[in-house]
Amino acid sequence: MADKNLRFLVVDDFSTMRRIVRNLLKELGFTNVDEAEDGQVALHKLKTQHFDFIVSDWNMPNMTGIELLRAVRADAQIKHLPFLMITAEAKRENIIEAATAGASGYIVKPFTAATLEQKLAKIFQTMAK
Amino acid sequence: MSEFGGMDELLQDFLMESSELLSDVDNKLMELEKRPDDLALLNDIFRGFHTIKGGAGFLNVNAMVNLCHRTENLFDKLRNGELQISAGLMDVILDATGSVREMFGALSQGRQPTDADPALIAALDAALAGQAIAPAAASAPAAPAPGTGPDWNALYQAVTPQAPAPAQPAAIAPATSAPALAAPVAPAAAAPVAEPPKTAKPVAKSGGGGSSGQQENTIRIDTVRLDMVLNLSGEIGLTKNRLTTLRTEILQGNTDQNTLRSLDEAIGQLDLLVGDLQNAVMKTRMQPVGRLFQKYPRLARDLARQLGKEVELVISGEETELDKTMIEDLNDPLVHLVRNAVDHGIELPADRVAAGKKPQALVQLTAEQVGDHILIEITDDGRGMNADALRRKAIEKGLIDAETANSLDEKQCLQLIFLPGFSTKDQISSVSGRGVGMDVVRTNIQKLNGRIDINSIPGEGTRISISLPLTLAILPVLVVRACNQPFAVPLAMVREIIPIESGAIQEVSGRPTIVVRDEILPVRMLAGLLGWEPTQKPAFGVLMQSAERSFILAIDSFVGRDDVVIKPLQNIRPKGVAGATLSGDGSVVLVLDMEDLLSAEGASPVGNRLSELIAL
Repeated sequence: MADKNLRFLVVDDFSTMRRIVRNLLKELGFTNVDEAEDGQVALHKLKTQHFDFIVSDWNMPNMTGIELLRAVRADAQIKHLPFLMITAEAKRENIIEAATAGASGYIVKPFTAATLEQKLAKIFQTMAK
Repeated sequence: MSEFGGMDELLQDFLMESSELLSDVDNKLMELEKRPDDLALLNDIFRGFHTIKGGAGFLNVNAMVNLCHRTENLFDKLRNGELQISAGLMDVILDATGSVREMFGALSQGRQPTDADPALIAALDAALAGQAIAPAAASAPAAPAPGTGPDWNALYQAVTPQAPAPAQPAAIAPATSAPALAAPVAPAAAAPVAEPPKTAKPVAKSGGGGSSGQQENTIRIDTVRLDMVLNLSGEIGLTKNRLTTLRTEILQGNTDQNTLRSLDEAIGQLDLLVGDLQNAVMKTRMQPVGRLFQKYPRLARDLARQLGKEVELVISGEETELDKTMIEDLNDPLVHLVRNAVDHGIELPADRVAAGKKPQALVQLTAEQVGDHILIEITDDGRGMNADALRRKAIEKGLIDAETANSLDEKQCLQLIFLPGFSTKDQISSVSGRGVGMDVVRTNIQKLNGRIDINSIPGEGTRISISLPLTLAILPVLVVRACNQPFAVPLAMVREIIPIESGAIQEVSGRPTIVVRDEILPVRMLAGLLGWEPTQKPAFGVLMQSAERSFILAIDSFVGRDDVVIKPLQNIRPKGVAGATLSGDGSVVLVLDMEDLLSAEGASPVGNRLSELIAL
């Protein structure tokens, strides 16, 4: 399994949700987690600090998750970062939109630590190739 | 998923955050009625429901997920232009937010909320299906789950080529067997809808915004403020170390000029720091009143609709900060005042037009900081209060006699509404007049050391002003002496201090009074109020004023003003004593509760209060 010291950025406008994701990550042994409350804040953090993994909500004010994803993929410095999209949005076009924009994974709320672990494992696997 | 760590805490967070979100949604809905095509608003409301749904899903509150899912879909269609908002649809949506709020209530009491009213779900489904909205009363059989893409599961697997392991595998129907039911976002939620509606009665509609009874016991603090507290306590620690060193030096006999100057400096610094710390800690309790205010537009709207009136509630100054406990205790009085304004103050649209006003009435709710207190005002542009009508009413109710009534001027007549048992409506409507009168409102405001005033111009409207201290934690007092003992009285009630000359006291109908600038004020001996024998002739009078009376408190001498922290007395509650505090020299000072102290005297308190009131 992946290095437990990986630095995660959890992006969600709803602080309860950030805590939930943070708790789930902690259950999996990832404790190096920072938070951002929307895409803009996240992008600023990504540009100024080092992160290894982005977990982002889709629906946020100011800058949505998908906009953040596109911005990340367009930035040479951080374009390589794995990006897991978390959302309650489960419509086909959304999933396709996220996939084409370069999401590394897509996870539908609500989910458990086990689900998250599977998704993460999948992403690490792909990265290792 | 209740195996999730820290579930209770999360639930509290969720409730606090999503209640705010829901109030925000409510307000945006009010806006939406004015600008039904505003895409930004539609988006915001959509996101609100979406976020609540997401959180509810994690907490396994299926009833809420189920309901929010539908409203969210509805707003998705609204923002995509597939549906148009209508008055009927608006009612259904507002019912839905009301229902979500009830669910929050259930959750905060640790109960799993019951499913939303099937009729409401059916109405939402009908709206989603594009049908015109029938009034939500018809208890239609449950409609099928809303039409999210039926084959999403297959697609989902196609896009993310791994077996999805959803939260509740058991609840998700395999995509092939029951595609229509596989409402993906709310797996378990789809099931209850498919069943025929149970006999479960819809939860009583409270109309939202009412007092929830339960107080929040958590608080959210800006980290900047918390850091300030931390910083200051650190500095105080450093100063303490300095003092410890100095103490050692002094104990060793080193009392030269330098050491003493250092001691003086250190203590001076400690003084400043402790003052700053007190302020900083107080600030952590300060919350914007906006959180309270944002419930009221919805309240006013619902009420106005019920009464066939057109009312807009405009809020300003919501960033004004007040002590958290005060914000909570203000809710009931404000709900009452907003209700009163809409119910009693505002006329029916036809009457308004006849009076040359716009059919839509305006109720303003404002808050601002004025000096060291907060001023909250509720202003309506309704019919105003008629002094004669109030006078007649009070006589009719037997609250005052005709003679007293006629001696009241207009301003005093307005004060009559604060009498217990006063209600201008002959019939108790379902809206106002539910037993909580203006007297209770005033009592509640006074409990917060606040004052309430009324101004009204017949035909133009009414303004009710509430003035409150910034915090309850620290009370500015005037320390006075009587019978060789110090007592503290709230500074908020003190208007001025006058010397009492022996000839100044006059007897009016058997009671001692003093004329101050043409105003005849009763004199009360502090020693007498306490039931003690005076040890000397009072030398000073403190002119005290509360909402219902002015009087002169006769004292032996006074010490000065002070900011004190009141410690409540445990187990005993002597009449007229609010608590105790320590003075600078370490002696105990009793803090007096003037209202309580005065109500102890006089055989018929009501009659007394009335004459006091009139003497105002």
